[in-house]
Amino acid sequence: MIAREMFEEFKARFGPLIDRADLPSDRRLYVFVDRSAVKYVCQHIFRELDARYVITIGADDRPFSGKFLVAHNFAFDKDHLLCSVLTQLPADDPKIDSITEMVPAASWAEREMRDLVGIEPVGHRYLKRLVLPDGWPENNHPLRKDVPWNAVPVEFDPDREFSFDEPPEGCTVVPFGPFHPTLDEPAHFRLYVEGEMVRGCEYRGFMVHRGIEKLAESVMSYNDIPMLAERICGICGCVHNVAYVQAVEEAAALKPPPRAEYIRTIMLELERLHSHLLWTGLACHILGFDTLFMQSFRIREPIMWIAEKISGNRKTYALCVIGGVRWNITPEVKTELRQTLDKLETEWRAVVSAVSKDRNIQKRTWGVGVADKDLVKEAGLIGPVARAAGVDIDCRRDHPYAAYDRVEFDVITEQGGDVWSRLLVRMKEVFESIRIIRQCLDKMEVGPLQLQISDELPIGRMGLSSVEAPRGESHHFVITGENNRPRRWRVRAPTYQNLQAVPRMIKDQQIADMTISLGSIDPCFSCTDRLETIDLRSGVTRVWSQEELLKLTRAKKV
Amino acid sequence: MSLVSKLEEVLVCLKAGRVTLPYPAQAQPLPENFRGRPIFDATKCIGCAGCANNCPAREILVFDVCQEVRILQYLGRRCTYCGRCADVCPEKAITMSQEFENGTDAIGDLGQRLELFMSTCQRCGRCFKGPSVLEDLKMKGYRSDDLQNERWIYRSRSFLEEDKTVDDIQIELD
Repeated sequence: MIAREMFEEFKARFGPLIDRADLPSDRRLYVFVDRSAVKYVCQHIFRELDARYVITIGADDRPFSGKFLVAHNFAFDKDHLLCSVLTQLPADDPKIDSITEMVPAASWAEREMRDLVGIEPVGHRYLKRLVLPDGWPENNHPLRKDVPWNAVPVEFDPDREFSFDEPPEGCTVVPFGPFHPTLDEPAHFRLYVEGEMVRGCEYRGFMVHRGIEKLAESVMSYNDIPMLAERICGICGCVHNVAYVQAVEEAAALKPPPRAEYIRTIMLELERLHSHLLWTGLACHILGFDTLFMQSFRIREPIMWIAEKISGNRKTYALCVIGGVRWNITPEVKTELRQTLDKLETEWRAVVSAVSKDRNIQKRTWGVGVADKDLVKEAGLIGPVARAAGVDIDCRRDHPYAAYDRVEFDVITEQGGDVWSRLLVRMKEVFESIRIIRQCLDKMEVGPLQLQISDELPIGRMGLSSVEAPRGESHHFVITGENNRPRRWRVRAPTYQNLQAVPRMIKDQQIADMTISLGSIDPCFSCTDRLETIDLRSGVTRVWSQEELLKLTRAKKV
Repeated sequence: MSLVSKLEEVLVCLKAGRVTLPYPAQAQPLPENFRGRPIFDATKCIGCAGCANNCPAREILVFDVCQEVRILQYLGRRCTYCGRCADVCPEKAITMSQEFENGTDAIGDLGQRLELFMSTCQRCGRCFKGPSVLEDLKMKGYRSDDLQNERWIYRSRSFLEEDKTVDDIQIELD
């Protein structure tokens, strides 16, 4: 079904409740609906039309239209359609019906919208703080346009402790994180444990939320933001870089030259290669199998070198600017890339053949951290987690971008839904990525790398972009604006959805399986600001506050 | 079954052998277009401030201290080495060097400060970059207000050791 047919259907069903619609292409649909109808439209889309929930975006549009804006984004993967349900809310009454009851996956996004923009989701059952620290004043919403980007409210109390929920009766609390040997980045899980079994957990993250969106919306300019977007993630940086640029290009109706599209595809696949190899290594490390951890990293290294040769840096490629790419792939690099891929393929085949029969790994991962098809639908899971549960979704095929519509590849699926299936999916995807890069190298056309942009980008247009990161779909939403910078830029990283399902995945499992279950979604989170020291002689516990720690680290002599 | 896979894994390891480099002694060679610390060339810079306008990290500042002197200051503290400055520079005065071992405990170590001597347009009164040092030398009786290239200025001994502007020549003071 293309956008027009979808819109006709909405019109037939909801008629007068739809204010207006925007159909920039067959694959995008923006429907503005009345505030009272949001709940029903979203229910219809999510349940009856069986769409996948992507993200909810709250925006402060008061300086421009005098209203708040809320967008619920959905993806129709089989129809290759991304749909956004938008609502305008009056400035003096920013309240909207919560859709979490119908679409459980929207829970975090609605809580975030309440924290950062101050739009109240009415009817949400668990409105605890998600992003902002507990000491942040209740009436200060950083993403509103009247709040300066660098302002810290005077009422902010950095020493206030997080308030945790009461554990269920009969359960012991086992804190997991913020610092834990198997977490590469800190996050805090409070596990409710009964004997050896995990019965539930509470998650507290976002401890050093970096405010990247606010910075982009108020300080930076269109071509600066790709370099910032790249730093959202330490592993899939290029994904965010490309996704942002594509969203702006879509909003401004720019089409990058074909050679640029091929180069983007190659770099994205190189990134997937090194990310999957890294993940396989880390998963083995979590399971205590360090031999393979070392071997994965050894096999991965030549990919980092070839990326460095193309872009000038191992990891932060700084690849895109609006309308093109910055680095060319020369014939010499092309030959070298082919050789690297050949070597990688043989080596990886040997590893896969060994690992796929390894009983030790199988016993640790079979039936562990199961996310079945229902959970995938309810929690909006994406990427290898969804594909391991037999849900056949992949943005590269479903919402083609860059040059993915010109290459052939298979979407790998498994049926188990457990950690083992995710391991298989990732290991097999490496071969597909190699296949894609080879085709790109063959098909790459000669031509310019960048579009010549002479006019200013149009104001107030919307753009969506979904890019398949190694961990799942990374979704960017952009509203273009004045002063050479976007008005609103919302990033939905894949872990945002996948992490919400972790409590369900680890429920009724052994506590020892927690680490690999969490590791299997390939999480990406942020860190915290506290440290506890215990004097062993006196047994006195001392909690260091953030200020004391800063003083300590900044002092010349410790 | 498991034994076979263990043997295969052993084979993977044995085949690879030892690959770790003894790093500080021997480094992996860098590719040609490696993006290391940007180096600013004062002789090529015309003070247009294109780099300052395009720096995502806002690490380059350009300001005038008087009608004739424009300062370009590269702070180098949170620079991400993205290379946008080198991209947009019309005079190719910025090169992304091969330097990556930039660990330091002094915050100003990586910064660079260019003092650009600007000429004044007699019509509009705005600054523009005068002729380069080489062109200056070619001119007969060139003006000696270019302090950076003036080699026979009296300086006290204590000042000399730190002074970068005259370190390319040996002055015997006794």
